[in-house]
Amino acid sequence: MASEDEVSLLVIVVDVNPIWWGQQAQREPEFNLSKCLDAVMVMANSHLVMTRTNKLAIIASHCQESHFLYPNKHWKAGDVAGDEVSSGSGDGKYELLSVANDLVAEEIRNLMARTQVKGHQTDTLLAGSLAKALCYIHRVSKELEAGQDMKSRILVVKAAEDCALQYMNFMNVIFAAQKQNILIDACVLDSDSGLLQQACDITGGLYLKIPQKTALAQYLLWVFLPDADQRSQLVLPPSVHVDYRAACFCHRNLIEIGYVCSVCLSIFCNFSPICTTCETAFKIPLPQMMKPKKKKLKTAN
Amino acid sequence: MAALSEEVLLVVKRVRQRKQDGTLYLMTERIAWGPEGKDRFTVSHLYADIRCQKISPDGKSKIQLQLVLHTGESTTFHFANESTALKDRDAAKDLLQQLLPKFKKKANKQLEEKNKMLQEDPVLFQLYKDLVVSQVISAEEFWASRLKLSSVEHSLSNNSKQEVGISAAFLADIRPQTDGCNGLKYNLTSDIIESIFKTYPAVKQKYAENVPHNLTEKEFWTRFFQSHYFHRDRINTGQQDIFSECAKQDEKGLKSMVVQGVKNPMVDLLSLEDKTLDEGYGSLTVGPNSSKTVKENSNSAIIKRFNHHSAMVLAAGLRKVILVYWKFNKFYPELNLLFMNRDAPSDQASETSSTDGNSRDSDFFQPPIKKVKLQEAIEYEDLQNGSGPKTIALNLKKSDRYSHGPVPLQSHHYSTSQDIINSVSCIQEEISCYKPCLTRVMPSSAASSAITALSPGGLLMQAGTQQAVSQLVPTDVQSELKHLYTAAGELLRHFWSCFPVNTPFLEEKVVKMRSNLERFQSTKLRPFQEKIQREYLSTNLTSHLDEMIQAAYNKFHAWQTRRMARKT
Repeated sequence: MASEDEVSLLVIVVDVNPIWWGQQAQREPEFNLSKCLDAVMVMANSHLVMTRTNKLAIIASHCQESHFLYPNKHWKAGDVAGDEVSSGSGDGKYELLSVANDLVAEEIRNLMARTQVKGHQTDTLLAGSLAKALCYIHRVSKELEAGQDMKSRILVVKAAEDCALQYMNFMNVIFAAQKQNILIDACVLDSDSGLLQQACDITGGLYLKIPQKTALAQYLLWVFLPDADQRSQLVLPPSVHVDYRAACFCHRNLIEIGYVCSVCLSIFCNFSPICTTCETAFKIPLPQMMKPKKKKLKTAN
Repeated sequence: MAALSEEVLLVVKRVRQRKQDGTLYLMTERIAWGPEGKDRFTVSHLYADIRCQKISPDGKSKIQLQLVLHTGESTTFHFANESTALKDRDAAKDLLQQLLPKFKKKANKQLEEKNKMLQEDPVLFQLYKDLVVSQVISAEEFWASRLKLSSVEHSLSNNSKQEVGISAAFLADIRPQTDGCNGLKYNLTSDIIESIFKTYPAVKQKYAENVPHNLTEKEFWTRFFQSHYFHRDRINTGQQDIFSECAKQDEKGLKSMVVQGVKNPMVDLLSLEDKTLDEGYGSLTVGPNSSKTVKENSNSAIIKRFNHHSAMVLAAGLRKVILVYWKFNKFYPELNLLFMNRDAPSDQASETSSTDGNSRDSDFFQPPIKKVKLQEAIEYEDLQNGSGPKTIALNLKKSDRYSHGPVPLQSHHYSTSQDIINSVSCIQEEISCYKPCLTRVMPSSAASSAITALSPGGLLMQAGTQQAVSQLVPTDVQSELKHLYTAAGELLRHFWSCFPVNTPFLEEKVVKMRSNLERFQSTKLRPFQEKIQREYLSTNLTSHLDEMIQAAYNKFHAWQTRRMARKT
């Protein structure tokens, strides 16, 4: 029985990239964004129901912004069903859950409604969403009562592909999470993401690429619902081997042995006497040449 | 008589060894003993073999000398001549003391070093056992590269021996023990005597004057402890006391210390005054000139003595520093300026000069002290515009290279703008009428197939069934493999360090190392491989070792063919 002092915060970052989801709806009509959000909601409800002190946050990661679907700025846990006429779905559900679900639905509707199409912004702002998640966790941890302990984790539901330009920010977020002992779990729907693999490996979370999108809710509940302490008691999918090879700066090939400039630390696959990034010239000492024997004869004479 | 050609330095008759009478001979290179009446020596030890000598304590009836050899054996000689036994023994001891250090072999010291190294490092010990004891490589090769490192470290540590300071409580530590009948027994060790001499140079002077002409050491110390100089109340000092002068000198020193004061302008000792409690919890400052009672006088005397004692202890520690600086200043006047400007030395110097009271060097360091102290207090180094080391700015031409991760350039899904517009509108339509329907999230078939995939043995759980190698292989096999790796690594290091082969010494070494590697393979590696095969450990544990050794063989072969080609 968890005591009053243990607070577990779960932040779910859902990738709602409209371009990818729109294309997905055309590819596979049986699994669209609505179904995905349903599955995420099931997971969120389960988390809230597990322990009374569990906390939740859901962030939608869009290509234009990262938006908090839950909790809402203007909504406090205290005034439930105050002004709402239609309180809940009338099926006797736990009030908190019904309010939360309604809130999420409304927020996502608003978010999608204000989407503006911009050609060059097609990538999910995942690094930004993770950073917001970290900030939220930090804020909540400061608002705890004295004597309360908080364990937090982030679950990323990823749909679109990785954006290589976000690498730097991503790595910063990962290391910040590691420092704060925050786990980053990843549930990947479509294509494997090297960045998320690294994130899970470094922070100690779980990475899973699911074979069947329609069973998303099952995977979420089985693998990602238990928190870190309980995972050690369960038999879960083993960790993926992460490819930590660096890519050379010139061709972006993954290399195992390369050359590193000692001034700017840029990696190259071939040796060149001048580093192209910082324009430092390097001199490699040539092997000693054997002195010609003619000289000896001369001095002897 | 054996070894008549050796020069005999000392002959001692009537020396018994193992209850036999005989004569002891000390020669230039060895010590020997022969029984009475016989021509030959039964006991003979080279001085080089002797580790140390021991003598029996003074009170014992038997006067003996024991020699302890490096091997651990010991020989005891009993000096049985009634009249001259003690003198004989002491003569022999003194001569040995002079001769033994000359013959201390350097090799023995190295042997001790080697032993120490082996004891301290279990990995090294294991390597030694694997390689040298099993005759894979010789002991000299093993120690060749290692001893160099350790001898350098040793010489560094021996040169900088620190001086031991004086404990402030050394006088209090001489706890007198009651002798039974009204007497007190003081135990004086040489450490305490040294401390007393260092702290009170006046006492040292008295000692030098009186001992051993007038008084024996014992008498001197007895008088010291008896004198009122040592005791608490110094009010009555007898005239015959040799220490009365010391007392007067101390008074003088104390007075001059007070006059000099403390050089630090930040410390103002004169503003301190005694405040005692008055009626009604107020405080009453006692004026400096109020008359004191007898009790207060003796209290102030004790306090004075405490202060003086502490000051002397501090001064003794710093006196050496002062002497060094004074010598420097005499011979290198330009260094004077150096010391003036630096904070640390002048700081110590000022304190010494003021606390000692008798120092001549106080004048040297007076003027800049105040300025230095004030400067210290005002300025903070790290807040100033630092003229730090000159750095060269990093000039990056293509800094955006860093922001791209180690992701190979993928062919991005090129979505036409029409695609984008379509997708977005599609999504907007869909979500605008979104209502969560949590009772029908997924079909049960999908759920059950997901469960199957996640159960042990399922699609996603394949990798977990493979056990780690470390779990399959027993620990003793693991540790043996580790030892093999260390040994092989050592041999390969010797081998590869020979290249490029420039000198004939390296040529020989390369050939020797190759044969060593072969020997290692046959004596150590093959049996291990057979053993794990017998135990049905299917994992190929030694393939990497084989690869490394094979690479070494290939290199050797290539070098050899090249050499042959050059010769022909």
